[in-house]
Amino acid sequence: MNKQRGALNRKSLAILLIVAVAIAVAAAAFIGARPGKEPAVKPPEEIEDYLFWEAKKLTDFKLIGGGNKTLGPDDLKGKWSFIFFGYINCPDVCPLTMGVLGKTFNLIEKDPAAYQEIQGIFISVDPKRDTPELVKEYASYFSSKITGVTGELAQLEAFSRQMSALYTIHPKEAQASGDDYQVTHNSTVFLVDPQGRLYGRFPPPQLPQEIAGVFLKIRTFYNERVKK
Amino acid sequence: MIKIFSQVLAALTLGFLASNAWANGDIQVKDAWMPTAPPGVKVMAAYLEIKNTGKQQQVLTGVTSPAFGKIEIHRSVIQGNVARMDHQKELAIPANASVLLQQGGLHLMLMDVKKPLASGDQVPMTFIFGNGEKIAATAIVRSGKMEGMEERGAMDHSGHGGHKH
Repeated sequence: MNKQRGALNRKSLAILLIVAVAIAVAAAAFIGARPGKEPAVKPPEEIEDYLFWEAKKLTDFKLIGGGNKTLGPDDLKGKWSFIFFGYINCPDVCPLTMGVLGKTFNLIEKDPAAYQEIQGIFISVDPKRDTPELVKEYASYFSSKITGVTGELAQLEAFSRQMSALYTIHPKEAQASGDDYQVTHNSTVFLVDPQGRLYGRFPPPQLPQEIAGVFLKIRTFYNERVKK
Repeated sequence: MIKIFSQVLAALTLGFLASNAWANGDIQVKDAWMPTAPPGVKVMAAYLEIKNTGKQQQVLTGVTSPAFGKIEIHRSVIQGNVARMDHQKELAIPANASVLLQQGGLHLMLMDVKKPLASGDQVPMTFIFGNGEKIAATAIVRSGKMEGMEERGAMDHSGHGGHKH
């Protein structure tokens, strides 16, 4: 009798163990899962908030920089791109963010391998007032690593939609008639990975130490993950 | 160590700047400065503190400067990561209080710069108040790029109580 009960217990224990293991495996898969084709690796907590749930390929855009040079998806490949939307007639938030970005790049310079892989892109969403030449001068003032571009309205709108960085010009009629208008814009610094995918973001208010530190951690995580 | 150093530096900078004050009666304009603008850029911003030591509210109604065509009071507002500028017709300084104009918030928008300004330049400005008082002050131009970024960054940080990280 005792022997039988012992056997039964052993059997149910084994079943219980199998069920427990199955639940644990399922839970681990669920927690670690990120949609998309990426291997299921959970990013470290300190960078998780800065990453998009799913890296999104940026496609089919054409922006215009100094000397009428175009900037398209191929120019994002092989580099980490820090992208900021703004306009030159914005005397407070835009120069502040550009200054932060310039300082961030100076901090990243201490890691030569990482420094080689970064570029900044300032996108003026005010092409009526900001010519490609002016935008180029403006951007490079803050860092030689920052390129300034603008573009046709339709191109700017389509690209900012891809980035989820919508902007509005107000009052709308003023843009047609004169120069006295303002642009409401997203003041996030976006991070695009070397495959040209929208990968992370640094929301305002930004600090150079914060962006530089988090970026280096993101890059380490990304490199380890890609090499696997 | 670095932190202590930068705090000392910030304190020294503040101490130095504190001597830059211009007053008329109960109103004082302090530490006015403006960052340099990239070449070709016609708009700039100025930052300062206005202190009211009196028992009555004072209202800043206008600012003029021979270096600029037009000056307006603006406030940058960032809501849900979207930045916009609100034009303020005037700026109230409550009794016994200070109003700080600083990066990422209240600022003077300086338009139509007459000639390019370089770091170290001194720009005369006149502040006009609702009671008819005027204060003549001088704003110092400082690099808009890197210098002082640490100190300013630190101050910005404490200024934004809602900073998440």
